[in-house]
Amino acid sequence: MKEIWNIFKKGIFAENPIFVLALSLCPALAVTTTAANALTMGLSVLFVLSMNNVIVSLTRKFVNPKVRVPIYITSIATIVTVVQLLLQAFFPLLYKSLGIYLSLIVVFAIILARAEVFASKNAVIPSFFDGLGMGSGFALAMLSIGIIRELLGNGSIFGIQLFGDWYNPALIMILPPGAFILIGYMVAGYKIIMERIESKQAKRGEA
Amino acid sequence: METTQKKEYSIFGIAANLAMACLVSGIIIAAVYFFTSPIAVQKSIILKNNSMKALVKDADEFKPIDGKTEWFEAKVKGKTVAYIVPSETKGYGGKIKLLVAVSPENKVIGYDVVSHNETPGLGDGITKDSFKSKLAGKILDNLKVVKDPSNKDDIQAITGATISSRAVVNGIKNAVEEVAALKGGNSK
Repeated sequence: MKEIWNIFKKGIFAENPIFVLALSLCPALAVTTTAANALTMGLSVLFVLSMNNVIVSLTRKFVNPKVRVPIYITSIATIVTVVQLLLQAFFPLLYKSLGIYLSLIVVFAIILARAEVFASKNAVIPSFFDGLGMGSGFALAMLSIGIIRELLGNGSIFGIQLFGDWYNPALIMILPPGAFILIGYMVAGYKIIMERIESKQAKRGEA
Repeated sequence: METTQKKEYSIFGIAANLAMACLVSGIIIAAVYFFTSPIAVQKSIILKNNSMKALVKDADEFKPIDGKTEWFEAKVKGKTVAYIVPSETKGYGGKIKLLVAVSPENKVIGYDVVSHNETPGLGDGITKDSFKSKLAGKILDNLKVVKDPSNKDDIQAITGATISSRAVVNGIKNAVEEVAALKGGNSK
């Protein structure tokens, strides 16, 4: 149980996909213009990542290692397509608003990376929790970037206007350069916090 | 890792493995498509009717116009109150597809964005009511985009998304002109 919790936690903190592994930065820049977009994208990735880890883990004995990468991509593409078809049939409005983001998930580095690094070498249950942890880490990072960008660039969070008319939105935060600047600061801040925690733990160990 | 490195695989084994994976995924997708596509078609028709209803609220009938695909006349008790026409225009991120409602007096009633690829947070303002309301009731002459806030007759561009705003306005302008041409043709 402890082990599974550690696997889950690792994806959120120690190996956060965006702040630590720096994987899938492209979507982190592209779709975090509003908090709502960022959250939907994060949740979609969370789902596809956990599903794909389970499937890769289940089939790891049958997959020839020489063609594993094309097979992982096929598996990711299949999951995404099935999700797309289901959404189109049952939640057309949600499908409309997710639109291009969904098909983008196929080429996310983080999903392939977890299949290769973790799921292809581990049993189904740890793989599922690895996907869940990594996906949650990704979703939380996306959400925090989205909230900050929307707040600074548009004066709102989830479309709710927080500042009055006196606030002149910093348009650059909505544009890609703003995302670059923000992610740089966030990665730096994350690093500082993690180092603080580590040094505290080290001290505790000494005492 | 070392054991896998040492093993020799025949090219046929590898190819068969990959082919199997693609076959299985193909079957899964085909099966899902088989079950969901009729539902998806139904839903998209309902969605389209809903978006037409949203454009022309009090209409009780939508009649397709002869000779034009995807053109509709919205009627209230047999009297035409609006023409609903599709329009396509080129925005900042590619094609923008619109559904435009035009009154018989060639005024814009409203529009709906069917699909677009504009920048989230900037260009996608064209889908929001704050921009839609600016276009309602405009006549052909006022369908141009300006950046001057004191100009109340024409249409204010969305801040940071002049290209998207202009694209939508052009698309609507085309739709209004086409409707005018259609009626001109009918009366002759």
